[in-house]
Amino acid sequence: MEILIYGAVTSAIYAMLAVGFTLIFGVARVLNLAHGSFYALGAYGTYVLTSIVGLPLWLAALLAIAGVSVFGVVVEKALIRPLRYSQLGVLMITLAVSLVVEQALFLIFGSEYRNVPAFIDTKVSIGGVDVAGQRLLTLVVAVVAIGALYLFIQRTRLGSAILAISQDAEAAKYMGIPSDRIFSLVMAISAALAALAGVLAGPFLSVQPSMHLLPIVKAFAIVIVGGLGSIPGSILAALMLGYAETLVAYLISTSWTEIVSVLATLLTLVFRPAGIFGKRAAF
Amino acid sequence: MNGFQQIDKLSGVAGAAALVVLAVAPLVFPGNYLIGVLTVAAIYGIWAVSWDFMSGLTGRENFGHSLFIGVGAYVAGVVNVQMELGPWWSLPASMLLAVAFALLLGFPTLRLKGPYFALAMLSAAVIMQRLMLIFWEYTGGEEGIQDIAPLIRNNLHYYWFVLVVLAATTFILSWMARSRWGLILRAIRGDEATCLAAGIPITTYKIVSLVISAAFAGLGGALYAHYQLQVSPQLFAVVTSVTIITMVYVGGMGTIYGPVGGALLLTLLTEGLRNFGEWRLMIYSLLLIFILFFLPNGFIAPLWKRVRSGWGDRA
Repeated sequence: MEILIYGAVTSAIYAMLAVGFTLIFGVARVLNLAHGSFYALGAYGTYVLTSIVGLPLWLAALLAIAGVSVFGVVVEKALIRPLRYSQLGVLMITLAVSLVVEQALFLIFGSEYRNVPAFIDTKVSIGGVDVAGQRLLTLVVAVVAIGALYLFIQRTRLGSAILAISQDAEAAKYMGIPSDRIFSLVMAISAALAALAGVLAGPFLSVQPSMHLLPIVKAFAIVIVGGLGSIPGSILAALMLGYAETLVAYLISTSWTEIVSVLATLLTLVFRPAGIFGKRAAF
Repeated sequence: MNGFQQIDKLSGVAGAAALVVLAVAPLVFPGNYLIGVLTVAAIYGIWAVSWDFMSGLTGRENFGHSLFIGVGAYVAGVVNVQMELGPWWSLPASMLLAVAFALLLGFPTLRLKGPYFALAMLSAAVIMQRLMLIFWEYTGGEEGIQDIAPLIRNNLHYYWFVLVVLAATTFILSWMARSRWGLILRAIRGDEATCLAAGIPITTYKIVSLVISAAFAGLGGALYAHYQLQVSPQLFAVVTSVTIITMVYVGGMGTIYGPVGGALLLTLLTEGLRNFGEWRLMIYSLLLIFILFFLPNGFIAPLWKRVRSGWGDRA
Protein backbone atom coordinates (compact mmCIF):
# COMPACT_ATOMS: atom_id res chain seq x y z
CA MET A 1 0.00 0.00 0.00
CA GLU A 2 2.80 2.36 0.86
CA ILE A 3 4.47 1.53 -2.41
CA LEU A 4 1.25 2.17 -4.26
CA ILE A 5 0.76 5.65 -2.82
CA TYR A 6 4.34 6.87 -2.74
CA GLY A 7 4.92 5.54 -6.22
CA ALA A 8 1.89 7.43 -7.45
CA VAL A 9 3.12 10.69 -5.89
CA THR A 10 6.61 10.32 -7.35
CA SER A 11 5.11 9.50 -10.73
CA ALA A 12 2.86 12.55 -10.53
CA ILE A 13 5.80 14.89 -9.98
CA TYR A 14 7.78 13.26 -12.77
CA ALA A 15 4.81 13.46 -15.09
CA MET A 16 4.37 17.20 -14.52
CA LEU A 17 8.05 17.75 -15.31
CA ALA A 18 8.22 15.42 -18.28
CA VAL A 19 5.02 16.53 -19.97
CA GLY A 20 6.23 20.13 -20.13
CA PHE A 21 9.65 19.06 -21.32
CA THR A 22 8.29 16.85 -24.07
CA LEU A 23 5.63 19.39 -25.08
CA ILE A 24 8.08 22.15 -25.90
CA PHE A 25 10.22 19.66 -27.75
CA GLY A 26 7.34 18.19 -29.69
CA VAL A 27 6.06 21.58 -30.76
CA ALA A 28 9.10 23.79 -31.14
CA ARG A 29 11.86 21.14 -31.42
CA VAL A 30 13.53 22.88 -28.52
CA LEU A 31 15.33 20.74 -25.98
CA ASN A 32 15.10 22.96 -22.99
CA LEU A 33 17.90 22.28 -20.54
CA ALA A 34 16.62 25.16 -18.45
CA HIS A 35 13.45 23.20 -17.73
CA GLY A 36 14.70 22.22 -14.28
CA SER A 37 15.33 25.88 -13.53
CA PHE A 38 11.61 26.57 -13.87
CA TYR A 39 11.00 23.91 -11.26
CA ALA A 40 13.61 25.46 -8.95
CA LEU A 41 12.30 28.96 -9.51
CA GLY A 42 8.77 27.83 -8.67
CA ALA A 43 9.89 26.50 -5.32
CA TYR A 44 12.11 29.50 -4.53
CA GLY A 45 9.47 31.95 -5.68
CA THR A 46 6.97 30.49 -3.26
CA TYR A 47 9.56 30.56 -0.51
CA VAL A 48 10.33 34.24 -1.07
CA LEU A 49 6.72 35.32 -1.37
CA THR A 50 5.59 33.53 1.77
CA SER A 51 8.58 33.72 4.12
CA ILE A 52 9.92 37.12 3.17
CA VAL A 53 7.06 39.07 1.61
CA GLY A 54 4.51 37.37 3.84
CA LEU A 55 1.78 36.64 1.34
CA PRO A 56 -0.71 33.86 1.99
CA LEU A 57 0.45 30.59 0.52
CA TRP A 58 -2.14 30.12 -2.23
CA LEU A 59 -1.50 33.63 -3.58
CA ALA A 60 2.25 33.17 -3.36
CA ALA A 61 2.02 29.88 -5.24
CA LEU A 62 -0.10 31.40 -8.00
CA LEU A 63 2.19 34.41 -8.34
CA ALA A 64 5.26 32.19 -8.42
CA ILE A 65 3.81 30.01 -11.14
CA ALA A 66 2.72 33.03 -13.17
CA GLY A 67 6.12 34.66 -12.70
CA VAL A 68 8.00 31.57 -13.85
CA SER A 69 5.72 31.29 -16.82
CA VAL A 70 6.52 34.86 -17.84
CA PHE A 71 10.21 34.16 -17.28
CA GLY A 72 9.92 31.14 -19.58
CA VAL A 73 8.38 33.24 -22.34
CA VAL A 74 11.05 35.92 -21.97
CA VAL A 75 13.82 33.32 -22.19
CA GLU A 76 12.15 31.81 -25.24
CA LYS A 77 11.74 35.14 -27.03
CA ALA A 78 15.03 36.78 -26.13
CA LEU A 79 17.46 33.88 -26.05
CA ILE A 80 16.13 30.71 -27.62
CA ARG A 81 14.37 32.10 -30.68
CA PRO A 82 17.42 33.79 -32.26
CA LEU A 83 19.33 30.50 -32.03
CA ARG A 84 16.60 28.14 -33.09
CA TYR A 85 18.23 27.45 -36.43
CA SER A 86 20.90 25.45 -34.59
CA GLN A 87 20.08 22.65 -32.19
CA LEU A 88 23.49 22.97 -30.56
CA GLY A 89 22.93 26.66 -30.03
CA VAL A 90 19.64 25.96 -28.26
CA LEU A 91 21.23 23.34 -26.02
CA MET A 92 24.08 25.67 -25.14
CA ILE A 93 21.91 28.67 -24.46
CA THR A 94 19.42 26.80 -22.29
CA LEU A 95 22.25 25.19 -20.37
CA ALA A 96 23.76 28.63 -19.84
CA VAL A 97 20.40 29.96 -18.66
CA SER A 98 20.06 27.13 -16.17
CA LEU A 99 23.51 27.91 -14.79
CA VAL A 100 22.77 31.61 -14.55
CA VAL A 101 19.62 30.79 -12.59
CA GLU A 102 21.49 28.36 -10.35
CA GLN A 103 24.22 30.90 -9.66
CA ALA A 104 21.71 33.68 -9.04
CA LEU A 105 19.89 31.48 -6.51
CA PHE A 106 23.19 30.60 -4.94
CA LEU A 107 24.30 34.22 -4.68
CA ILE A 108 21.01 35.36 -3.20
CA PHE A 109 20.07 32.47 -0.94
CA GLY A 110 23.32 30.60 -0.33
CA SER A 111 23.66 26.86 -0.65
CA GLU A 112 21.69 25.81 2.43
CA TYR A 113 18.33 24.09 2.17
CA ARG A 114 15.21 26.24 2.37
CA ASN A 115 11.80 25.29 3.70
CA VAL A 116 8.85 25.85 1.47
CA PRO A 117 5.60 25.81 3.46
CA ALA A 118 3.16 22.99 2.79
CA PHE A 119 -0.45 23.58 1.86
CA ILE A 120 -1.63 20.80 4.13
CA ASP A 121 0.27 19.91 7.27
CA THR A 122 -1.92 17.10 8.50
CA LYS A 123 -1.36 13.49 7.73
CA VAL A 124 -4.05 11.41 6.10
CA SER A 125 -4.45 7.74 6.77
CA ILE A 126 -5.29 5.55 3.80
CA GLY A 127 -5.61 1.81 4.29
CA GLY A 128 -3.52 1.97 7.45
CA VAL A 129 -0.74 4.06 5.89
CA ASP A 130 -0.05 7.60 7.06
CA VAL A 131 0.58 9.88 4.13
CA ALA A 132 1.43 13.55 4.38
CA GLY A 133 -1.46 15.60 3.06
CA GLN A 134 0.91 17.57 0.84
CA ARG A 135 1.85 14.45 -1.08
CA LEU A 136 -1.77 13.57 -1.72
CA LEU A 137 -2.47 17.12 -2.81
CA THR A 138 0.46 16.90 -5.22
CA LEU A 139 -1.03 13.77 -6.71
CA VAL A 140 -4.48 15.29 -7.10
CA VAL A 141 -3.27 18.59 -8.54
CA ALA A 142 -0.97 16.81 -10.97
CA VAL A 143 -3.78 14.64 -12.27
CA VAL A 144 -6.06 17.67 -12.63
CA ALA A 145 -3.38 19.81 -14.31
CA ILE A 146 -2.34 17.17 -16.81
CA GLY A 147 -5.98 16.27 -17.46
CA ALA A 148 -6.77 19.91 -18.11
CA LEU A 149 -3.82 20.22 -20.46
CA TYR A 150 -4.98 17.15 -22.33
CA LEU A 151 -8.49 18.56 -22.72
CA PHE A 152 -7.05 21.91 -23.76
CA ILE A 153 -5.00 20.33 -26.52
CA GLN A 154 -7.71 17.97 -27.71
CA ARG A 155 -10.77 20.20 -27.47
CA THR A 156 -9.85 23.84 -28.11
CA ARG A 157 -8.86 25.74 -31.22
CA LEU A 158 -5.55 26.77 -29.75
CA GLY A 159 -4.95 23.18 -28.75
CA SER A 160 -5.43 21.94 -32.27
CA ALA A 161 -3.04 24.64 -33.46
CA ILE A 162 -0.46 23.23 -31.07
CA LEU A 163 -1.10 19.72 -32.33
CA ALA A 164 -0.88 20.88 -35.93
CA ILE A 165 2.51 22.47 -35.40
CA SER A 166 3.85 19.43 -33.63
CA GLN A 167 2.80 17.26 -36.55
CA ASP A 168 4.16 19.45 -39.31
CA ALA A 169 5.44 22.92 -38.48
CA GLU A 170 5.75 24.05 -42.07
CA ALA A 171 2.31 22.92 -43.18
CA ALA A 172 0.82 24.54 -40.08
CA LYS A 173 2.47 27.80 -41.03
CA TYR A 174 0.94 27.66 -44.50
CA MET A 175 -2.45 27.18 -42.89
CA GLY A 176 -1.98 30.52 -41.21
CA ILE A 177 -1.14 29.34 -37.72
CA PRO A 178 1.06 31.96 -36.03
CA SER A 179 3.76 29.51 -35.00
CA ASP A 180 5.88 31.98 -33.03
CA ARG A 181 2.95 32.92 -30.83
CA ILE A 182 2.14 29.25 -30.30
CA PHE A 183 5.74 28.57 -29.28
CA SER A 184 5.50 31.27 -26.65
CA LEU A 185 2.24 29.84 -25.41
CA VAL A 186 3.66 26.33 -25.19
CA MET A 187 6.72 27.65 -23.40
CA ALA A 188 4.46 29.39 -20.89
CA ILE A 189 2.49 26.17 -20.29
CA SER A 190 5.64 24.10 -20.03
CA ALA A 191 7.27 26.52 -17.57
CA ALA A 192 4.09 26.78 -15.53
CA LEU A 193 3.83 23.00 -15.19
CA ALA A 194 7.44 22.75 -14.05
CA ALA A 195 6.91 25.58 -11.57
CA LEU A 196 3.76 23.90 -10.30
CA ALA A 197 5.77 20.75 -9.67
CA GLY A 198 8.32 22.83 -7.78
CA VAL A 199 5.68 24.55 -5.66
CA LEU A 200 3.99 21.28 -4.76
CA ALA A 201 7.05 19.12 -4.25
CA GLY A 202 9.10 21.85 -2.55
CA PRO A 203 7.83 21.09 0.96
CA PHE A 204 8.96 17.47 0.93
CA LEU A 205 11.91 17.54 -1.44
CA SER A 206 15.11 19.49 -1.01
CA VAL A 207 15.08 23.12 -2.10
CA GLN A 208 18.57 24.39 -2.89
CA PRO A 209 20.28 26.07 -5.87
CA SER A 210 21.35 22.91 -7.71
CA MET A 211 17.93 21.31 -7.39
CA HIS A 212 17.26 21.83 -11.08
CA LEU A 213 19.64 19.09 -12.18
CA LEU A 214 17.91 15.93 -11.05
CA PRO A 215 14.52 16.93 -12.48
CA ILE A 216 16.09 17.53 -15.87
CA VAL A 217 17.81 14.15 -15.71
CA LYS A 218 14.57 12.43 -14.73
CA ALA A 219 12.53 14.31 -17.31
CA PHE A 220 15.05 13.31 -19.93
CA ALA A 221 14.95 9.64 -18.92
CA ILE A 222 11.15 9.64 -18.95
CA VAL A 223 10.94 11.37 -22.27
CA ILE A 224 13.39 8.94 -23.85
CA VAL A 225 11.54 5.93 -22.49
CA GLY A 226 8.16 7.34 -23.47
CA GLY A 227 9.22 8.63 -26.84
CA LEU A 228 10.51 12.16 -27.42
CA GLY A 229 7.60 14.49 -28.11
CA SER A 230 4.81 12.12 -27.08
CA ILE A 231 2.65 13.26 -24.15
CA PRO A 232 0.87 9.94 -23.46
CA GLY A 233 4.25 8.25 -23.72
CA SER A 234 5.78 10.49 -21.11
CA ILE A 235 2.85 10.01 -18.72
CA LEU A 236 3.15 6.24 -19.02
CA ALA A 237 6.93 6.38 -18.64
CA ALA A 238 6.59 8.67 -15.63
CA LEU A 239 4.36 6.07 -13.98
CA MET A 240 6.80 3.30 -14.82
CA LEU A 241 9.80 5.19 -13.57
CA GLY A 242 8.03 6.50 -10.47
CA TYR A 243 6.94 3.02 -9.43
CA ALA A 244 10.23 1.40 -10.42
CA GLU A 245 12.12 3.87 -8.23
CA THR A 246 9.76 3.41 -5.30
CA LEU A 247 10.05 -0.37 -5.59
CA VAL A 248 13.81 -0.23 -5.74
CA ALA A 249 13.85 2.09 -2.74
CA TYR A 250 11.77 -0.40 -0.75
CA LEU A 251 13.36 -3.62 -1.89
CA ILE A 252 17.02 -2.64 -2.11
CA SER A 253 17.84 0.83 -0.80
CA THR A 254 17.14 4.45 -1.63
CA SER A 255 20.71 4.78 -2.89
CA TRP A 256 19.94 2.65 -5.91
CA THR A 257 16.99 4.70 -7.16
CA GLU A 258 19.23 7.00 -9.16
CA ILE A 259 20.48 4.08 -11.19
CA VAL A 260 16.97 3.15 -12.35
CA SER A 261 16.59 6.14 -14.64
CA VAL A 262 20.03 5.72 -16.20
CA LEU A 263 19.46 2.04 -16.78
CA ALA A 264 16.04 2.71 -18.29
CA THR A 265 17.52 5.35 -20.59
CA LEU A 266 20.37 3.17 -21.76
CA LEU A 267 18.19 0.10 -22.31
CA THR A 268 15.66 2.13 -24.28
CA LEU A 269 18.33 3.67 -26.44
CA VAL A 270 19.84 0.28 -27.19
CA PHE A 271 16.66 -1.70 -27.86
CA ARG A 272 14.02 0.78 -28.89
CA PRO A 273 15.49 4.24 -29.49
CA ALA A 274 12.11 5.67 -30.47
CA GLY A 275 10.69 4.96 -27.02
CA ILE A 276 7.33 3.37 -26.25
CA PHE A 277 5.16 5.77 -28.21
CA GLY A 278 7.73 7.41 -30.42
CA LYS A 279 6.94 7.36 -34.09
CA ARG A 280 10.34 7.88 -35.62
CA ALA A 281 13.54 6.09 -34.79
CA ALA A 282 15.46 9.29 -35.31
CA PHE A 283 14.57 12.71 -36.51
CA MET B 1 49.63 23.08 -51.26
CA ASN B 2 52.90 24.89 -50.82
CA GLY B 3 51.17 27.79 -49.16
CA PHE B 4 49.37 25.44 -46.84
CA GLN B 5 52.69 23.92 -45.74
CA GLN B 6 54.22 27.28 -45.11
CA ILE B 7 51.35 28.53 -43.02
CA ASP B 8 51.58 25.29 -41.14
CA LYS B 9 55.24 25.94 -40.35
CA LEU B 10 54.29 29.36 -39.09
CA SER B 11 51.74 27.77 -36.76
CA GLY B 12 54.39 25.35 -35.56
CA VAL B 13 56.80 28.17 -34.81
CA ALA B 14 54.09 30.10 -32.98
CA GLY B 15 53.12 27.01 -30.98
CA ALA B 16 56.74 26.34 -30.02
CA ALA B 17 57.21 29.98 -29.05
CA ALA B 18 54.09 29.88 -26.89
CA LEU B 19 55.36 26.71 -25.25
CA VAL B 20 58.73 28.29 -24.46
CA VAL B 21 57.07 31.39 -23.03
CA LEU B 22 54.85 29.22 -20.84
CA ALA B 23 57.77 27.10 -19.70
CA VAL B 24 59.97 30.07 -18.89
CA ALA B 25 57.27 32.24 -17.28
CA PRO B 26 57.67 30.73 -13.78
CA LEU B 27 61.44 31.27 -13.96
CA VAL B 28 61.02 34.94 -14.81
CA PHE B 29 58.30 35.48 -12.22
CA PRO B 30 59.11 32.95 -9.52
CA GLY B 31 56.58 31.86 -6.97
CA ASN B 32 54.37 28.88 -6.30
CA TYR B 33 51.25 30.90 -6.99
CA LEU B 34 52.01 31.41 -10.66
CA ILE B 35 53.14 27.79 -11.06
CA GLY B 36 49.87 26.62 -9.58
CA VAL B 37 47.77 28.81 -11.85
CA LEU B 38 49.68 27.77 -14.93
CA THR B 39 49.49 24.07 -14.01
CA VAL B 40 45.72 24.30 -13.71
CA ALA B 41 45.58 26.28 -16.95
CA ALA B 42 47.57 23.58 -18.75
CA ILE B 43 45.31 20.84 -17.39
CA TYR B 44 42.24 22.76 -18.52
CA GLY B 45 43.99 23.04 -21.85
CA ILE B 46 44.20 19.23 -22.09
CA TRP B 47 40.50 18.94 -21.24
CA ALA B 48 39.50 21.61 -23.73
CA VAL B 49 41.47 20.06 -26.58
CA SER B 50 40.11 16.62 -25.87
CA TRP B 51 36.57 18.00 -25.85
CA ASP B 52 37.17 19.81 -29.09
CA PHE B 53 38.53 16.73 -30.82
CA MET B 54 35.25 14.87 -30.44
CA SER B 55 32.63 17.58 -30.22
CA GLY B 56 34.25 20.37 -32.16
CA LEU B 57 35.05 18.18 -35.15
CA THR B 58 31.92 16.03 -35.35
CA GLY B 59 29.55 18.67 -34.02
CA ARG B 60 28.16 16.28 -31.41
CA GLU B 61 28.27 18.31 -28.23
CA ASN B 62 29.33 16.42 -25.20
CA PHE B 63 27.71 17.96 -22.13
CA GLY B 64 29.21 15.39 -19.82
CA HIS B 65 32.91 15.71 -20.42
CA SER B 66 33.27 16.05 -16.65
CA LEU B 67 32.31 12.38 -16.49
CA PHE B 68 35.59 11.30 -18.11
CA ILE B 69 37.55 13.84 -16.11
CA GLY B 70 36.00 12.69 -12.84
CA VAL B 71 36.48 9.04 -13.72
CA GLY B 72 40.14 9.70 -14.50
CA ALA B 73 40.66 11.57 -11.25
CA TYR B 74 38.87 8.99 -9.12
CA VAL B 75 40.78 6.15 -10.72
CA ALA B 76 43.96 7.98 -9.79
CA GLY B 77 42.69 8.25 -6.23
CA VAL B 78 41.59 4.63 -5.94
CA VAL B 79 44.69 3.21 -7.59
CA ASN B 80 46.97 5.35 -5.52
CA VAL B 81 45.35 5.49 -2.09
CA GLN B 82 43.22 2.37 -1.83
CA MET B 83 45.16 -0.08 -3.96
CA GLU B 84 48.45 1.48 -2.87
CA LEU B 85 50.07 1.25 -6.26
CA GLY B 86 52.70 3.75 -7.33
CA PRO B 87 51.41 7.08 -8.64
CA TRP B 88 52.52 6.44 -12.23
CA TRP B 89 50.09 3.54 -12.53
CA SER B 90 47.18 5.93 -12.34
CA LEU B 91 47.88 7.50 -15.74
CA PRO B 92 47.29 4.39 -17.87
CA ALA B 93 44.59 3.12 -15.52
CA SER B 94 42.59 6.33 -15.72
CA MET B 95 42.85 6.47 -19.48
CA LEU B 96 41.66 2.89 -19.70
CA LEU B 97 38.63 3.37 -17.50
CA ALA B 98 37.64 6.62 -19.21
CA VAL B 99 37.75 4.68 -22.49
CA ALA B 100 35.52 2.00 -20.99
CA PHE B 101 32.97 4.65 -20.04
CA ALA B 102 33.18 6.20 -23.49
CA LEU B 103 32.34 2.85 -25.08
CA LEU B 104 29.53 2.20 -22.64
CA LEU B 105 27.88 5.55 -23.31
CA GLY B 106 28.91 6.06 -26.90
CA PHE B 107 27.60 2.78 -28.24
CA PRO B 108 23.92 3.32 -27.42
CA THR B 109 23.79 7.06 -28.01
CA LEU B 110 26.05 7.87 -30.94
CA ARG B 111 24.18 5.55 -33.28
CA LEU B 112 21.23 7.89 -33.07
CA LYS B 113 20.69 11.18 -34.71
CA GLY B 114 19.32 14.05 -32.73
CA PRO B 115 20.23 15.26 -29.29
CA TYR B 116 20.40 11.90 -27.51
CA PHE B 117 24.16 11.94 -27.11
CA ALA B 118 24.34 15.42 -25.57
CA LEU B 119 21.56 14.66 -23.13
CA ALA B 120 22.73 11.18 -22.21
CA MET B 121 26.21 12.49 -21.41
CA LEU B 122 24.75 15.27 -19.29
CA SER B 123 22.63 12.90 -17.25
CA ALA B 124 25.40 10.34 -16.97
CA ALA B 125 27.67 12.97 -15.42
CA VAL B 126 24.97 14.13 -13.00
CA ILE B 127 24.24 10.56 -11.94
CA MET B 128 27.94 9.77 -11.50
CA GLN B 129 28.26 12.72 -9.15
CA ARG B 130 25.35 11.34 -7.11
CA LEU B 131 26.86 7.86 -7.12
CA MET B 132 30.09 9.24 -5.69
CA LEU B 133 28.06 10.52 -2.73
CA ILE B 134 25.96 7.38 -2.42
CA PHE B 135 28.84 4.90 -2.39
CA TRP B 136 30.77 6.92 0.11
CA GLU B 137 32.40 3.83 1.61
CA TYR B 138 34.54 3.54 -1.52
CA THR B 139 34.67 7.10 -2.77
CA GLY B 140 34.84 9.09 0.44
CA GLY B 141 31.51 10.80 -0.22
CA GLU B 142 31.50 14.58 -0.06
CA GLU B 143 35.11 14.60 1.15
CA GLY B 144 36.41 12.56 -1.75
CA ILE B 145 39.72 10.77 -1.60
CA GLN B 146 42.53 12.52 0.21
CA ASP B 147 46.30 12.10 0.40
CA ILE B 148 47.03 11.15 -3.18
CA ALA B 149 50.75 10.97 -3.78
CA PRO B 150 52.25 13.55 -6.16
CA LEU B 151 53.74 12.27 -9.40
CA ILE B 152 56.67 14.63 -9.16
CA ARG B 153 57.46 16.34 -5.89
CA ASN B 154 58.91 19.52 -7.28
CA ASN B 155 56.06 21.87 -8.28
CA LEU B 156 57.96 23.45 -11.12
CA HIS B 157 59.03 20.13 -12.57
CA TYR B 158 55.46 18.87 -12.35
CA TYR B 159 54.27 21.96 -14.17
CA TRP B 160 56.77 21.29 -16.95
CA PHE B 161 55.60 17.69 -17.12
CA VAL B 162 51.97 18.80 -17.47
CA LEU B 163 53.02 21.31 -20.10
CA VAL B 164 54.75 18.58 -22.09
CA VAL B 165 51.62 16.44 -21.86
CA LEU B 166 49.55 19.39 -23.06
CA ALA B 167 51.89 20.02 -25.98
CA ALA B 168 51.92 16.33 -26.90
CA THR B 169 48.11 16.11 -26.65
CA THR B 170 47.64 19.18 -28.79
CA PHE B 171 50.18 17.96 -31.32
CA ILE B 172 48.70 14.46 -31.58
CA LEU B 173 45.12 15.63 -31.75
CA SER B 174 45.73 18.43 -34.25
CA TRP B 175 47.74 16.03 -36.38
CA MET B 176 44.84 13.59 -36.29
CA ALA B 177 42.38 16.40 -36.97
CA ARG B 178 44.29 17.36 -40.09
CA SER B 179 44.67 13.78 -41.29
CA ARG B 180 42.17 11.93 -43.44
CA TRP B 181 40.57 10.78 -40.21
CA GLY B 182 39.89 14.36 -39.10
CA LEU B 183 38.59 15.20 -42.54
CA ILE B 184 36.00 12.45 -42.20
CA LEU B 185 34.99 13.69 -38.76
CA ARG B 186 34.49 17.17 -40.17
CA ALA B 187 32.51 15.72 -43.05
CA ILE B 188 30.26 14.02 -40.52
CA ARG B 189 29.60 17.38 -38.94
CA GLY B 190 28.75 18.78 -42.35
CA ASP B 191 26.39 16.12 -43.59
CA GLU B 192 25.88 12.71 -42.05
CA ALA B 193 23.62 11.40 -44.77
CA THR B 194 26.15 12.11 -47.50
CA CYS B 195 28.93 10.44 -45.52
CA LEU B 196 26.75 7.41 -45.03
CA ALA B 197 25.98 7.34 -48.73
CA ALA B 198 29.72 7.47 -49.45
CA GLY B 199 30.11 4.27 -47.46
CA ILE B 200 31.71 5.79 -44.38
CA PRO B 201 30.81 3.95 -41.18
CA ILE B 202 29.96 7.14 -39.34
CA THR B 203 29.00 5.52 -36.05
CA THR B 204 32.38 3.81 -35.79
CA TYR B 205 34.15 7.07 -36.48
CA LYS B 206 32.13 8.92 -33.88
CA ILE B 207 32.61 6.27 -31.21
CA VAL B 208 36.35 6.02 -31.82
CA SER B 209 36.73 9.78 -31.66
CA LEU B 210 34.78 9.82 -28.40
CA VAL B 211 37.10 7.11 -27.08
CA ILE B 212 40.17 9.15 -27.99
CA SER B 213 38.63 12.26 -26.48
CA ALA B 214 37.77 10.37 -23.28
CA ALA B 215 41.26 8.90 -22.99
CA PHE B 216 42.86 12.33 -22.96
CA ALA B 217 40.20 13.74 -20.66
CA GLY B 218 40.83 10.88 -18.23
CA LEU B 219 44.56 11.50 -18.45
CA GLY B 220 43.95 15.15 -17.64
CA GLY B 221 41.74 14.09 -14.75
CA ALA B 222 44.52 11.95 -13.31
CA LEU B 223 47.02 14.80 -13.72
CA TYR B 224 44.59 17.07 -11.89
CA ALA B 225 44.18 14.54 -9.06
CA HIS B 226 47.94 14.30 -8.66
CA TYR B 227 48.19 18.07 -8.63
CA GLN B 228 45.42 18.70 -6.08
CA LEU B 229 46.47 15.54 -4.17
CA GLN B 230 42.77 14.87 -3.59
CA VAL B 231 39.61 14.34 -5.60
CA SER B 232 36.06 15.40 -4.82
CA PRO B 233 32.68 14.70 -6.45
CA GLN B 234 32.66 18.35 -7.51
CA LEU B 235 34.78 17.32 -10.48
CA PHE B 236 31.76 15.59 -12.02
CA ALA B 237 29.67 18.74 -11.79
CA VAL B 238 28.01 20.11 -14.90
CA VAL B 239 29.88 23.33 -14.18
CA THR B 240 33.15 21.60 -15.04
CA SER B 241 31.82 20.63 -18.46
CA VAL B 242 30.40 24.08 -19.06
CA THR B 243 33.68 25.73 -18.12
CA ILE B 244 35.45 23.57 -20.67
CA ILE B 245 32.83 24.21 -23.34
CA THR B 246 33.12 27.95 -22.71
CA MET B 247 36.89 27.70 -23.16
CA VAL B 248 36.41 25.89 -26.45
CA TYR B 249 33.88 28.44 -27.63
CA VAL B 250 36.20 31.30 -26.70
CA GLY B 251 39.04 29.56 -28.50
CA GLY B 252 37.07 28.65 -31.58
CA MET B 253 35.36 25.31 -31.98
CA GLY B 254 36.91 22.63 -34.14
CA THR B 255 40.33 24.26 -34.40
CA ILE B 256 42.15 22.20 -31.71
CA TYR B 257 44.75 24.90 -30.99
CA GLY B 258 42.11 27.55 -30.31
CA PRO B 259 40.71 25.80 -27.22
CA VAL B 260 44.20 25.63 -25.68
CA GLY B 261 44.40 29.39 -26.01
CA GLY B 262 40.86 29.68 -24.67
CA ALA B 263 41.74 27.55 -21.65
CA LEU B 264 44.87 29.58 -20.87
CA LEU B 265 43.11 32.89 -21.37
CA LEU B 266 40.09 32.01 -19.28
CA THR B 267 42.07 30.42 -16.45
CA LEU B 268 44.25 33.51 -16.17
CA LEU B 269 41.15 35.70 -16.44
CA THR B 270 39.51 33.66 -13.69
CA GLU B 271 42.49 34.29 -11.46
CA GLY B 272 42.12 37.96 -12.20
CA LEU B 273 38.47 37.69 -11.21
CA ARG B 274 39.27 35.94 -7.96
CA ASN B 275 38.13 38.99 -6.04
CA PHE B 276 34.65 38.42 -7.40
CA GLY B 277 34.60 35.09 -5.60
CA GLU B 278 31.11 33.71 -5.83
CA TRP B 279 30.34 35.73 -8.93
CA ARG B 280 32.86 33.84 -11.04
CA LEU B 281 30.52 31.14 -12.35
CA MET B 282 27.88 33.75 -13.05
CA ILE B 283 30.37 35.69 -15.14
CA TYR B 284 31.27 32.46 -16.96
CA SER B 285 27.69 31.68 -17.85
CA LEU B 286 27.02 35.22 -19.00
CA LEU B 287 30.23 35.18 -21.05
CA LEU B 288 29.02 31.98 -22.71
CA ILE B 289 25.71 33.59 -23.65
CA PHE B 290 27.54 36.63 -24.97
CA ILE B 291 29.85 34.54 -27.14
CA LEU B 292 26.98 32.43 -28.47
CA PHE B 293 25.30 35.57 -29.68
CA PHE B 294 28.11 37.78 -30.86
CA LEU B 295 31.14 35.62 -31.58
CA PRO B 296 29.86 32.26 -32.80
CA ASN B 297 33.30 31.45 -34.22
CA GLY B 298 35.11 32.19 -31.00
CA PHE B 299 37.83 34.68 -30.35
CA ILE B 300 41.29 33.19 -30.45
CA ALA B 301 41.23 31.10 -33.63
CA PRO B 302 39.83 33.92 -35.83
CA LEU B 303 42.39 36.30 -34.34
CA TRP B 304 45.24 33.93 -35.11
CA LYS B 305 43.95 33.34 -38.63
CA ARG B 306 43.98 37.06 -39.23
CA VAL B 307 47.49 37.45 -37.84
CA ARG B 308 48.67 34.47 -39.86
CA SER B 309 47.25 35.67 -43.15
CA GLY B 310 48.81 39.08 -42.49
CA TRP B 311 52.22 37.44 -42.17
CA GLY B 312 51.56 35.19 -45.13
CA ASP B 313 51.06 38.27 -47.30
CA ARG B 314 54.34 39.79 -46.27
CA ALA B 315 56.34 36.59 -46.71
